[in-house]
Amino acid sequence: MATANADFDPFYLSTGHSGKHGHEFLEFEYSHGRLRYANNSNYRNDSLIRKEMWVGPLVVRELKRIVESSEITKEDDSNWPKKNIVGKQELEIRVGNDHIAFETAKIGSLVDIQDSEDPEGLRVFYYLVQDLKCLIFSLISLHFKIKPI
Amino acid sequence: MSDDEMNIDEITSGGGAVRRRGRGFKNGGGPKEVPVSTEATYDRVETTKDSDARAARSVEGWIVLVTNVHEEATEEDVQDKFGEFGEIKNLHLNLDRRTGYVKGYALVEYETMTEAQAAIDGASGTPLLEQVIQCDYAFVRPPPSGPKKGRPARGRSASPSRRR
Repeated sequence: MATANADFDPFYLSTGHSGKHGHEFLEFEYSHGRLRYANNSNYRNDSLIRKEMWVGPLVVRELKRIVESSEITKEDDSNWPKKNIVGKQELEIRVGNDHIAFETAKIGSLVDIQDSEDPEGLRVFYYLVQDLKCLIFSLISLHFKIKPI
Repeated sequence: MSDDEMNIDEITSGGGAVRRRGRGFKNGGGPKEVPVSTEATYDRVETTKDSDARAARSVEGWIVLVTNVHEEATEEDVQDKFGEFGEIKNLHLNLDRRTGYVKGYALVEYETMTEAQAAIDGASGTPLLEQVIQCDYAFVRPPPSGPKKGRPARGRSASPSRRR
């Protein structure tokens, strides 16, 4: 069984979004076995949450499987909505020989995708980010017993 | 100092050039304008030193990741399979956001490491709805000095007493 040593695996993943003034954001990052999460919802008391955890090789393999099966590295963000006053979303992934760093506006709903110039590509991005968040939020809530949002 | 701010190295393990794509590379050196990269302190679940095990305990128990779960599996299927190793304290069987079917993994929480280990030993490599599943601990102990990187001086040590 290929138990790739996370120390030497260049697999990298980060995604997040930030709002109008930069002090409302949510993001997570995987790198060399470590998964980090930071969230600042600046609405009431400026509370900042930062969590980190080390995940095992099977978690890493599952993250990669989700990334690879989405075929996100075949997409291109050049025709996606540009970041704007409402905010931006980012996705950076290094897997195999591919390294993407996509940036777009916040996607509020599927209508935003349908009305864009590259609905197919943007849909891949949208669902991949959701699927990754879903796994990572489960990991966080089980590990720390908190609700991540 | 152009692309050097990317905190990943550009030498591929398998050889060959890295294909880069995306607007995130252009805007001020990578998409890291948000504070993950700052050396802030992150909360951890403290690990105990009482065993040499690789696995790490979570706040209320031990989390087992199950992969290659059949897309039509139900919580009951997973419960039936993993309940025999101990009482399941928590179960996450997440769905594919696009299709609505099971995404392909499950997270199972047991109170004791003995139960988690029994599940990993007993269910890994066995079928669930005709698909052979894999099981392992979701969380491991942090490496002694944080994740190894080419980065020199990390400016931060293990900070053992942060979490109370």
